[in-house]
Amino acid sequence: MDPICASLDRMQHWSRRSLLRAAFASALAWPLRGFAFGEASRLVFAQLRHAGRWDPHPDGLPRLAWEVAKRTSIETSPAVKVLAPSDPELFRHPFAVLSSDAAIPALADAEVASLRRYLSYGGFLLVDDASAQSGGSFERSAREILAKVLPAAKLQRVPRDHVLYKSFYLLDGPTGRSVARPDVEGIDIGGRLAVLYSPNDLLGALARDSLGTWEMEVVPGGEGQREKAVRLGVNLAMYALCLDYKEDQVHIPFIMKRRRI
Amino acid sequence: MPQVDYNAWRITSLSTLPGWALALAALGIAAAVWLSFRGIRSEPSRLRRSILIGLRVLAGALLLTLLLEPGIELRAETRVRARVALLLDTSRSMRFPASTEGTTRAEEMLRWLKSHLGELSALTSRFQVDVYGFDKELAPQDPQKLASAPDLRAAGDLLAQGPSTDLVGALTAASSAGTGGRPLAGVIVASDGADNAELSEGMTGAAASELDKLRAPVFALPIGAQAVKDLAIEKVVVDDFAFVRTQVVIDVTVTARGFPSTDVPLVVRREGQIVAQKTVRVGSGTERVQAKLSFIPDRTGKFAFQVAAPVYEGEALAQNNSRSFVLKVIRDRVRVVLVVGRPSWDVRFLRQLLKRDPNVDLISFFILRTPGDDTRSSQDELSLIPFPTQEIFQEQLKTFDLVIFQDFGNRPWYHLQQYLDGIGEYVRDGGALAVVGGDQAFSASDFDGTAIADVLPAQLLPPTAPSVDETPAQAHLTDAGKRHPVTELVSGAAANETAWSRLPRLPGLNTLGAVRDGAQALLTAQDGRPILVVGEAGRGRTLALTTDASWYWSFVAAGQEQGPRAYETFWHSAIRWLVRDPALTPMRLTAERTTYEPGGDPPALDAHVRGSDYGAAGGAQLRATLSSADDPVQRPAGTAVAGQDGTARLVLPQLSPGAYKAVVTARRPDGGEIGQAEEAFVVAPAGAELSRPAPRPEILQSIAQATHGKLIDLGDRLDSLPFHDPERVEVGQRKTRPLWDKWGVLVALCCIAGTEWSLRRRWGYA
Repeated sequence: MDPICASLDRMQHWSRRSLLRAAFASALAWPLRGFAFGEASRLVFAQLRHAGRWDPHPDGLPRLAWEVAKRTSIETSPAVKVLAPSDPELFRHPFAVLSSDAAIPALADAEVASLRRYLSYGGFLLVDDASAQSGGSFERSAREILAKVLPAAKLQRVPRDHVLYKSFYLLDGPTGRSVARPDVEGIDIGGRLAVLYSPNDLLGALARDSLGTWEMEVVPGGEGQREKAVRLGVNLAMYALCLDYKEDQVHIPFIMKRRRI
Repeated sequence: MPQVDYNAWRITSLSTLPGWALALAALGIAAAVWLSFRGIRSEPSRLRRSILIGLRVLAGALLLTLLLEPGIELRAETRVRARVALLLDTSRSMRFPASTEGTTRAEEMLRWLKSHLGELSALTSRFQVDVYGFDKELAPQDPQKLASAPDLRAAGDLLAQGPSTDLVGALTAASSAGTGGRPLAGVIVASDGADNAELSEGMTGAAASELDKLRAPVFALPIGAQAVKDLAIEKVVVDDFAFVRTQVVIDVTVTARGFPSTDVPLVVRREGQIVAQKTVRVGSGTERVQAKLSFIPDRTGKFAFQVAAPVYEGEALAQNNSRSFVLKVIRDRVRVVLVVGRPSWDVRFLRQLLKRDPNVDLISFFILRTPGDDTRSSQDELSLIPFPTQEIFQEQLKTFDLVIFQDFGNRPWYHLQQYLDGIGEYVRDGGALAVVGGDQAFSASDFDGTAIADVLPAQLLPPTAPSVDETPAQAHLTDAGKRHPVTELVSGAAANETAWSRLPRLPGLNTLGAVRDGAQALLTAQDGRPILVVGEAGRGRTLALTTDASWYWSFVAAGQEQGPRAYETFWHSAIRWLVRDPALTPMRLTAERTTYEPGGDPPALDAHVRGSDYGAAGGAQLRATLSSADDPVQRPAGTAVAGQDGTARLVLPQLSPGAYKAVVTARRPDGGEIGQAEEAFVVAPAGAELSRPAPRPEILQSIAQATHGKLIDLGDRLDSLPFHDPERVEVGQRKTRPLWDKWGVLVALCCIAGTEWSLRRRWGYA
């Protein structure tokens, strides 16, 4: 019987040593877990540097990494790689984030070409609108950039039954610091969501200041909405690493049952 | 000059004028008579009219006679005798028993011929009797010589050599054969009726039409029909190949003759083991029953099968109660279970590759949460499912072709201990295991000292040793790796080495103990640390990859303008090798043909042996054993020694009909086993002549009906059969003579014409 993915009542059958080990590991959490391979085998977010305000929430991605490591078996790194879109180093970090709270200046041709290759060969790009303004300057500039990077593709609404909403948590929809729009959009490449456009400032809901307090207020749902934003971030990380694993036949009856509860 | 007796005559024309000229003259004469009639129709005297018309008609007749020159032809005629053809079946099916007493059909036919020679002689007084043997062709035979042989069985065996039976062809050829265009009075056919040409599926409209053109009755003597009881597996239809774990359907046609209502159990055996069975009911009289038998092959390979029915007492033929075939079972898709200890980029790229591969049926299980993780939610808010260890590692394990452990260890909360021995056994029984590195893999996996460690190609270091060496590693091909198919990214040794050297450096490697005997390290780091080690455990194969960054060969390589081809090629080759894709096995065995003729060239197998390093195994000792579809015991069948190129031919002994499986084991000169390969083949008659030899009196009956003849018995007299006897004469000498003197006719004509002219003048018509 496997306890790992099971409910807590299964854990009651563990040996005392197992429980002690689990409790110890839990207490130490992410910074001290075994990851002898170093950063190469961990999930390290890459923040794309551009000519605009490329890092509106400096603590957003480290906080997401921390939450992912604390809540799941994924090993993450608190360090965020800040890289230009044309930097070859970007290909060592298949999860990249493009964000700003204002318009993004146009990318150079080399940057566009590099991003196109990055997304085509397996990279994942989260485009997060830190302004959370539907139809704002960020959104317009981001759409222009994506149209250049993937001219044959088009951002489309991600349906609510997409595996993104069940890759770890069972979610009923997206959210963020705000709710500018009820849905996220994405670009599919070969059956894989390669680009996700979040209009609701997802990372803004996660950012804390140096004293550990939340940087921004979450509206209109308050702390419940913030937790949902964290869960969406965890699901994003899980989806990036597992793709459509939760669409496998074996999961379907369990998920259907819990959705009905 | 010899005296000629003319015994017939006829009137003929001696005129040299062409037919059209005579016809024109006749028309002119008729016109003259008609004009004469018109000119005198107003004559009141009937006597005068009659005289004038009579004279004109008489003159016209004489003129026509003059032109036709009638004569008499004297003929010396003789009457022509019609032909009777006697056709004796000389096809090979006539060597089968005619009855349960053991006489062959050909022997029985010759006995019948011998006992009716006198009647044939009697027939020659009325007909010309032509005797032929027939099978595929028609050939004259001497009945006296055939019937006078001291040993009729031997003579029958010698006679019945024909490769096929063509009854319609033989009858048509017999009707046009012979001399002098003699008409055919009838045909006597002695045959078992086992036609395998136009009548193989019974009488057809086209065949009936051809037979009708004979214009002569066929009297058919069914040979072997006395053995009324026979059961036959007439036909087995099955695809040449099937997919493992997918149902195979075998269409079997059973014919039964002379059986009362009987339930006949049909069985399908694979090397002695029954894999399918079904009971069919055959009724009284001749009957044909079709049945579908099915089974699900559980492993890949080439196998010998036999469909068999019991041999019942009193059956005419036992050989046709079974039929053999070879079935190649292949994978439609490789069934892979991917067990992952933690999501990572390495996991993601491998899963993506496996999911995209249409030849892979992927089952995945990822550990998404460990006991230390705090999801801050209830279980119902998560999509997580229990890790179905029992289902994967016990119930379903044998259905997988390959198990991949990726960054996966034997953690106590998985409760794997009870399954580890089973996994080791699965590998030794022919399964495959790949272990891919990561923080929880190899020496950090807690598999040391378990059955998993025993089947791995390298030893695990104790848990106290560092599990990872973070020194970046550039993959280099070892000598074994240069030849091994798993590490062949591109063809050509130099190009392959270059391809590997261009790939991105790996960020670190799991530590690994010594490579086991018989296993090979194919890739090592620049400092000799093993990256890729492969080996065999029992009948299974294992692979150890000591990195969790093989995805660098895909995505990072793509960033270096190389593309992901190397990564994809490596993993596809690794999977094919692990599941023993036939194209990547070190030893290949190929039968020269899939079907061999009994008594023909002996079966021969071509072996190509490569060592575990995939180099040619020159000097390898090969030993073949054979088992058959109904007998699983492996019996020695021959030996050979491989040449320097690793190839050898094994010629097997002559075998009786059946399906056979050959297993060839190759050993090094020092006795160490190199490998084993299997091949299956069938020994069966190539044509339908021997594969469908059952007597078919119904075919002969239909021929007799189509030609208005009849079936005859062994005791029927031949000289009393109702042959057609058409009249035909042959003219030997002829002589012609004119009937009348030409000048006399001419004078008579002139006199009549003059008389008519003078009467017309006198009566006022001139």
